[in-house]
Amino acid sequence: MTVANTWKQKLTSHMREDWAREIDIYETQIELRKKGKIEEKLFAETRLRRGTYGQRYDNGQRHDGEKTQTLAYPAGELTKGPVTMWDAPGMQRIKIPFGKLSALQLDTLAELAEEYSDQILHVTTRQDIQLHFIHIEDTPDIMRRLAAVGITTREACGNSVRNVTACPYAGVCNTESFDVTPYANAITFFLLGHPDAQDFGRKFKIAFSGCKDEPCGLTNFHDAGAIAKTRVIDGQLKRGFEYYVGGGLGAVPYPATLFDEFLPEEELLPITQAVCRVFARLGERDNRARARIKFLVKKLGIDEFKRLVLEERSKLRTDERWVSFLKDLHVTDEKPLKPPSALGPGPYPAGFEAWQKTNVQPQSQKGYSTAKVTLPLGDFTPGQARALSEIARKFTGDSLRTTVEQNLLYRWVADGDLPAFYQELAQVGLGAAGADRITDVTSCPGTDTCKLGISSSRGLATELRKQLSVIADTLDPAAQDLHIKCSGCSNSCGQHHVADMGFLGVSRNMNGRRVPHFQLVIGGQYKHNGGSYGLAIGAIPSKHVPKAVKTLTDRFVSEKQAGETFQAFVQRIGKKEIRKLVDELSVIPSYEQDPSYYSDWGDPREYTIGDLGVGECAGEVVPLVQVGLAGSEREVFEAQLLLEEGNSQGAAARAFSAMVQAAQALTREKNSFLGEGTDEIVSEFRKHYYDTKVFFDPFSGGKFAHYFFRAYEHQTEAGASKESAHQLIEEAQLFVEAAHQCYTRIAGALP
Amino acid sequence: MLSERLQLKMYLEPSEHFELEALIPVFHRFIRDQVIKELMIDVVDYSHVPDGPGVVLIGHAADYYVGALDGRPGLVYSRKRAAPAPEARLEDALRRLVNFGRLLEQDSSVKLRFRSNELSLRLTDRLHAVNDDASFAASKAEVEQIFGRVYGGSVAVERLLEPKGPLALAIKTSATPSLEALLEKLGGPPAT
Repeated sequence: MTVANTWKQKLTSHMREDWAREIDIYETQIELRKKGKIEEKLFAETRLRRGTYGQRYDNGQRHDGEKTQTLAYPAGELTKGPVTMWDAPGMQRIKIPFGKLSALQLDTLAELAEEYSDQILHVTTRQDIQLHFIHIEDTPDIMRRLAAVGITTREACGNSVRNVTACPYAGVCNTESFDVTPYANAITFFLLGHPDAQDFGRKFKIAFSGCKDEPCGLTNFHDAGAIAKTRVIDGQLKRGFEYYVGGGLGAVPYPATLFDEFLPEEELLPITQAVCRVFARLGERDNRARARIKFLVKKLGIDEFKRLVLEERSKLRTDERWVSFLKDLHVTDEKPLKPPSALGPGPYPAGFEAWQKTNVQPQSQKGYSTAKVTLPLGDFTPGQARALSEIARKFTGDSLRTTVEQNLLYRWVADGDLPAFYQELAQVGLGAAGADRITDVTSCPGTDTCKLGISSSRGLATELRKQLSVIADTLDPAAQDLHIKCSGCSNSCGQHHVADMGFLGVSRNMNGRRVPHFQLVIGGQYKHNGGSYGLAIGAIPSKHVPKAVKTLTDRFVSEKQAGETFQAFVQRIGKKEIRKLVDELSVIPSYEQDPSYYSDWGDPREYTIGDLGVGECAGEVVPLVQVGLAGSEREVFEAQLLLEEGNSQGAAARAFSAMVQAAQALTREKNSFLGEGTDEIVSEFRKHYYDTKVFFDPFSGGKFAHYFFRAYEHQTEAGASKESAHQLIEEAQLFVEAAHQCYTRIAGALP
Repeated sequence: MLSERLQLKMYLEPSEHFELEALIPVFHRFIRDQVIKELMIDVVDYSHVPDGPGVVLIGHAADYYVGALDGRPGLVYSRKRAAPAPEARLEDALRRLVNFGRLLEQDSSVKLRFRSNELSLRLTDRLHAVNDDASFAASKAEVEQIFGRVYGGSVAVERLLEPKGPLALAIKTSATPSLEALLEKLGGPPAT
């Protein structure tokens, strides 16, 4: 018997032939890159399309709190992308379509985390699993081992169709029109590697929901969102979808636009294919910041966009896959392991009732429930993963699902088994109650591992969980139901826009040092598939965020009217009131009095090095810049208030004015004779900050300056809608934020 | 040891009580001051995960964890890549583990105490170290030989049965040397 010495030898015959071939090609590309025979940009795109990302410090530099140190990776100058060192640890994103995992797949993921990663499996806000601190040369074997259990990482990143997400309750939900699972499954594999989905300017995300009112699918912020719907046509009940396009979070969130009130099920795949073709053909390519489909839909208008899609649809060559899946919609059905049963009268294990209250929901099938596993920050260990797969085999059958709240969901737990099921979860430390409640804070990786992170979203989430858990049992039920979400930067992977209280990582200069902050984004709507977005109120020093959460929560509990949601409460008391709180919390002690304010949560390194410059010139100029930037922040806030009052035109004008003020503040440093005229300010800002790239963000380039220039070009247009004013306010917020960062850089305070 | 990837763990004295978070600044300092002569990259806090890896010092070739992944608090040396020759891997891992443990024992901000005579070894390479009787027998012999030489006295090795886990061995020695003495026997702190 031949003993396999490589995973390739061992597994190639255990996976789809095309997947094996793809991974072999990828491995060859790794070898070619090592020999310098593939250009680094091309290799970067190759690995990204296979879900292999860079991670923080992969440029070979790390700031240790005092100075920047070089990380001397053994492979020397070899890179795996621009400014991305070959040996630097990276992240492997693993697509889990609609979050569905078998026990065997979970076992394999456990092995991979144990052998190649840092002993942690991480559930993302889009139902993926991520492994961190992975070496590039381990990725082909990781992919082979995944492929052998039916998982591909293809198109987990890059300008492609990303993981297709869906409500984890699909098929067992009490409010769904029908089970969206087979549709999500069909579209996943139809578009995977499809020629019409390979040439986008940016990524494309699809989400499914079984109903309109609940939050589980979050279709409102996806490039394409499909909500299950039925309609009686010619006396027959037909299935279809309320189909949306052009939603997205990111720096500027756009709500999705209705494309079709009822897209018949047989049109789901061809219309989505046509959408992809229009996006590939007409979407922005040069400017990544404007390349998501939301910008194309906005630019064209939904009517024109729809006309183009339908025209494209009419030209498509018929593909039997469009409808073949409809012949067997039961292909994704799950069969319960146990017969239905009723929950016994007790006594129950300690902690069971609290867990049942928050983590268990009755299914639409009598005698069964779903049960959520609360994963702190979406993290669990290989040992826990193996225990979870065994619990699945013992109680529910072979499947569970990841959720966008970074938890796991078991389906088909017979009600009579719930106490024993709970006990087994508790034995491996996963019996915590409070899933999807105030303590179950969602967070993107932030500065822990993400290259783009500005503040420590996971550090903040950990601290909030810790502090809130202590008082969770005593909190008013209305407060317990609040949602908190944290993002480390404006890319919004923590989905902070749709939280009751969202936090977005930013930084500020205070007392001559850089201080981690979070923008408080308040009043987002989680229900209705992430129905509306909150707006930024102001930046709070990181170490004051827990206090802000407590104060807001207390105030909500004591002042809310009967049946009032947090969103309605915020609306009623007004953002001015909340701004007062932010202002109170914006003051921090000096570094000498308490240096902890100058470090981030969970990271004792000083957030700031270097002085702002104490020379006389700087002493005069810096305060002027700060005054101007503070003024521009105030104007952004005022714009929000105007919008709240229904004055969209005034809000848009004020948002633009905020941008002008920020640009003026910065530009005066270069041109002390700068006047007040907008044309002059724009022109001088362009000359000194845009053309020179001084304003450019290391990762976003000139994106935020483009917001300003575009607002300038459109400033004379009358009739701003509520939606366009909202977007302009978001853009103004980001422009002002970028101005802060630019000022910090030019003042020499950034590491 | 055929497996390049391995995790060697030394347990904390049962009476030891400490806050995991206290290790975060220590590990950052280890990177900043290059206390460990290996390429160390980052610190990760998993203290929120029950029975998790705890606080992790991430390196290029190996990571160090102080956590309770197997349910018991201790220090793990986890070799990931660039291991020495197969016959030198286990002793090299022991040397690095002992060196790191000694540093934590000496650090005034945490003052941890480890039991030198109780360890576990997990061969986290299912390709080259299948979790079966034959691999266990081969690994056991190697552990007995190396630990016997370094520790002196008797060495008891048992197989830890962790369903679907990697091949895992529990190691107990009759001798209980200090980490300082052990490190000296192992040749002192690794130079790279």
